Amino acid sequence: MIVGIMHFTDRIGEGIGQPRFDSVGGEELMHVQPGVTIALGRLSPESPGTLYISNRRVIWLSDTDRDKGYAVDFLSISLHAVSRDPETYPSPCIYTQIEVEDAKDDEFEGLDAECPDETYLSKITEMRLVPHDPNQLDTLFDIFCQCVELNPEPLEGDDEENSWIFGEDFSDDGDQPEWHLSEDLANPIGQVNGNPDLAHSVLHLQINDQRFEDAEEMEDANHN
Amino acid sequence: MLFFSYFKELVGKEVTVELKNDLAIRGILHSVDQYLNIKLENTRVVDQEKYPHMLSVRNCFIRGSVVRYVQLPPDGVDIDILHDATRREARGA
Repeated sequence: MIVGIMHFTDRIGEGIGQPRFDSVGGEELMHVQPGVTIALGRLSPESPGTLYISNRRVIWLSDTDRDKGYAVDFLSISLHAVSRDPETYPSPCIYTQIEVEDAKDDEFEGLDAECPDETYLSKITEMRLVPHDPNQLDTLFDIFCQCVELNPEPLEGDDEENSWIFGEDFSDDGDQPEWHLSEDLANPIGQVNGNPDLAHSVLHLQINDQRFEDAEEMEDANHN
Repeated sequence: MLFFSYFKELVGKEVTVELKNDLAIRGILHSVDQYLNIKLENTRVVDQEKYPHMLSVRNCFIRGSVVRYVQLPPDGVDIDILHDATRREARGA
């Protein structure tokens, strides 16, 4: 699932600490870059922090505030580049574009009530990382490249999207008044011998077939 | 693997990569991997007025899954080779 930028506060250790990685799930630290400022979207840059790059995600932690940190999965980073032109951004930086979900999602509405900040973060589509030493830019760029390649797209994503589209079609067709009106006219598609109950059950049959296995669709086609 | 093999042949040539968010970037194809992640050099954004913040970018790495189209250089399209390759791919599938 694409989640964009998230808050990150899960630190371990004394003092300012460091991020807790999901070592059980195979997460490994790849690179630490101290002295990095982060700028999210059009927000002004944060105070300096430290960048932790794991094989899964990029984590930035503030050096002064233990409760301030951000994380973004490599799966959500659609593009990264080295930006050096002072006219478009005052400091040389790693420029990234973040893929975000459609903001109309129910889950985000739920989050909104609890923590509006999180919703705002999840809509941010650009992130800039400014190392105080610009000579580190090429190294960081290369590490980003390596890590993106470690995170190919999960394959099951397409199936989920398809069933969601079918689900919406189902509720639109089933609840619209046009469907009932059409019963008074000439035989609508799927209506047999003017029996609306039968037509209704045929409609359900077809919808169920779409949502389940291919094999059932084939079977249905044979019957027809 | 057909696209991967084919794109590898285009390394060093100029291509235009159009992303699913409508951003289009033209540049020299530096490298491509099996996930069709694409690295471009000497990049420029096609619609600079709409994406002024991308002006400063000279090289970039694009995640394969966000690419919508790759526009090819005409001299990089050898129709005979592509015909053969697609037939082989179809037989193998």
